[in-house]
Amino acid sequence: MIELDVNHIKKNFGGLQALNDVTFKVRGPELIGLIGPNGAGKTTLTNILDGLIRPSSGTVYLNGRRIDTLPPYQVARAGLGRTFQVTRAFRRMTVLENLMVPALAMHPTARQHDFLDKAMEVLKFLTMDHLVNEYGRALSGGQQKLLELGRLLMLDPDLIILDEPFAGVHPKLMEIIYEYITTVNAQGKAFIIISHDMETIFTLSRRLLVLNFGELIADGDPDVVRHDPAVIEAYLGEEEEEAGPAMVETYLGKDKRQDA
Amino acid sequence: MNRTKWLWGLAAAVGLLLIAAPALLESYPYIMHIAIVAFFYAILASSWSLLAGYAGQFSFGHMAFMAIGAYTAGIFGKYVRLTTAPTGVCSEIPMGNHWLVLVNFFGDNCLELGKANMPVGTLIYRLPALPGIILGIIMGGIFGLLVGVLVLRLRRTYLALFTIGFSEIVRVTFNAEIDITNGPNGLELAPLFPNGVHLFGFYFNSANKIPPYYVMLMLFLVSMAVMYWLSISRFGLFIRSIREDEEAAAALGVHIVRYKVLVFVVTSMIAAAAGAVEAHYIGVITPNILLILQMSLVISMAVIGGLESLVGAAIGAIIIEFALEFLRTSFTIGPIVVDMTTWRLVFFGLLLMLTLRFWTNGLIYPIIQRLTRSGVAEETVAMRQAAVEGAVEGQG
Repeated sequence: MIELDVNHIKKNFGGLQALNDVTFKVRGPELIGLIGPNGAGKTTLTNILDGLIRPSSGTVYLNGRRIDTLPPYQVARAGLGRTFQVTRAFRRMTVLENLMVPALAMHPTARQHDFLDKAMEVLKFLTMDHLVNEYGRALSGGQQKLLELGRLLMLDPDLIILDEPFAGVHPKLMEIIYEYITTVNAQGKAFIIISHDMETIFTLSRRLLVLNFGELIADGDPDVVRHDPAVIEAYLGEEEEEAGPAMVETYLGKDKRQDA
Repeated sequence: MNRTKWLWGLAAAVGLLLIAAPALLESYPYIMHIAIVAFFYAILASSWSLLAGYAGQFSFGHMAFMAIGAYTAGIFGKYVRLTTAPTGVCSEIPMGNHWLVLVNFFGDNCLELGKANMPVGTLIYRLPALPGIILGIIMGGIFGLLVGVLVLRLRRTYLALFTIGFSEIVRVTFNAEIDITNGPNGLELAPLFPNGVHLFGFYFNSANKIPPYYVMLMLFLVSMAVMYWLSISRFGLFIRSIREDEEAAAALGVHIVRYKVLVFVVTSMIAAAAGAVEAHYIGVITPNILLILQMSLVISMAVIGGLESLVGAAIGAIIIEFALEFLRTSFTIGPIVVDMTTWRLVFFGLLLMLTLRFWTNGLIYPIIQRLTRSGVAEETVAMRQAAVEGAVEGQG
C-alpha cells in the first residue's frame, strides 16, 4: 500500500512564495493529475517531493518514512521516481546503459547482465527494443521521453511523478505513453502527472490537484474540479462568466459526463 | 572470429610487442627514454580522460596530484633511513634489528648528530624506491579526496578555475619550501634500482633503460587494466551518468557525492603513482612540472586521442610524445630556417585547435569506436529477430 503524506509544505525563494501550505495524501495506486497555470508551483512541488530542493517548512512522508530531508538518490531508493519537464536522457550513453543506471543503483551487489532480460522486456513494452545499442542522442525527442519512462520501470518505484510527459510528443508515441501509464498503474504504481494537455489529463486521471500561486485550490474528481469556480478563475480570470462553457472547454477540456 | 575476440587479440599482440620491444631497441636508449616518458604521459592522459571524459570533472589539477606523488617519494627518500643502531636524537621506530629513522626537516641534521651516539660499524641505508612510491600514491589519494570533497558543488568553469588555483598553490609551495624540496633547483631522487637489477637472467645497472621501461610499462598496463575494469563496471556507468546529468542520475538512485569523490581519489592515485615512478626514473623533480603548459600537454593528448576513451587518450599520448621528439629536427625553406624545437609546439597547438573544431571525439577514439560499434544496430535487430523466430518455433 503506497502512502504519501505531504504536510503543510511551504517554499520561499527570497521574497517569492512558491508554495504555501500545500497538503495532500496519496493512498494506494492512485492516478493523479497535477495542473495549474504557469508559475503555479507544480515543478517546485515535484522538486521538493524528490529531494532536489528542501521545503522552507512542512514535511513529506513516503510509506511512513520522512523523505523531505533526504538527498534525491535516497528518495529514489525509498520508492519515488520522476521524470523532468525537459527530457533528460543520458545522451552519450546507449539506451541499454540508460536503463542499467537505475537498475544497478537500486541493487548494489547486482551486475549488468542480471538485468539484461528485464531491460529488453521494458524496451519491448516501449517499442524501442531495436534501439537498445543506440546512443541517447540518436533518439528523437519522443523516444527520449520513452527512455525516461523505461528508466523508471528499471528503478521500480512505488510512486511515479511525470512532469509534462505528453509535451511535444508525436500522437503515436503519446498513445504508447498513455498505455504505459495505465498499464503500470494497473500493476499497482501510483502516478502524479503534471500536464498542460487538459484533454488527456482529464481523461487519464482519476483525481486532480490544482495549484495556483503556490496554493492547492482544488483536490478531487476531475469532473468536479472542472466546475470548481476557483479553478475556472485560476485559468480564465474574472472573464469566466462572460466567456461561457466554450472557453471553459478550451482551457479545461471537454466534460466527460457531457460526452457520456 | 567475432569482433570482441579480434580486438582482444589485437590488444594482446600490442601488449606482447611492448613487452618484447626492449630486445629490439636495447641499442637505442634515446628511443627507450621516449617510450618510458610516453608511457608516463599515457598514464596521465588516460587517467585524466577517466576524470574529465567519463566523469565530466574538467580538472586542471591532475599534474598537481602527479607532483604530490613525485615529491612524496622524493621527500621520503631524502628524509627516511634505515640504521642498524638507534641515533638517539632523531624520531625513530625500532623494526627488529633495525631502526627506521626520520631525519628532521629543519635545523641541524639529526642523523649527522646521532652518528656520535652510534657504535662503529653501524650501517645506514636508504630505503628502496617502492615504499616511497606507495606513500606517494597514498598521499595522492588523500589530496584527491580533499579536492574531490571541496569541488563537489563546482561545475565546469568554476571547477577548472578551482583546480588551476590548487595546482598553483602546490607549485608555489614546492618552489618556496627550499629547505625541504630544494625549491626551483629540484629534489633529487635515487634511481628506481640504485644497485642495478637482475632481469631475465641478465644484470642491468642503475643507468640502464630496460628496468625502468618495464616498471613504467607495467604501471601503464596495470593502471589501464584497473581503469578499464572500473569503466565497464557500475562505477563507470554511474560516473558517466553524472557527467550527462547529475540531477537525473541522482533521481535514479545514484549516490552522486560518493562517485564524484571516488573518481577524484582513483585518478589522483594513478597520477601520483606515475609521478613517483617518473621522478625516480628521471632522478629529479622540479616545480616546473606544474606549469600550466604541462597540464595543457596532458589535456591535449587526451583530447586529440579521444576524451571519452581511456585507450584513445593513451594512444594519443604515446603518438604525441614520440611526434614531439621526432619533430625536433629543424629545416630550411629557402633562406628561412624553421627552428622546430619551437615551431613543433605551434604545429601541435594547431592540431589541437583543429581537433577541437572538427573532431570533438578526438582522432583515435572514432577509429576504436568504428571497430567496436560498427554493425551493432544490425546485430541487435538480428538478435531480436532470432529471438522472436525462436519463440515462434518453440510455440509451434
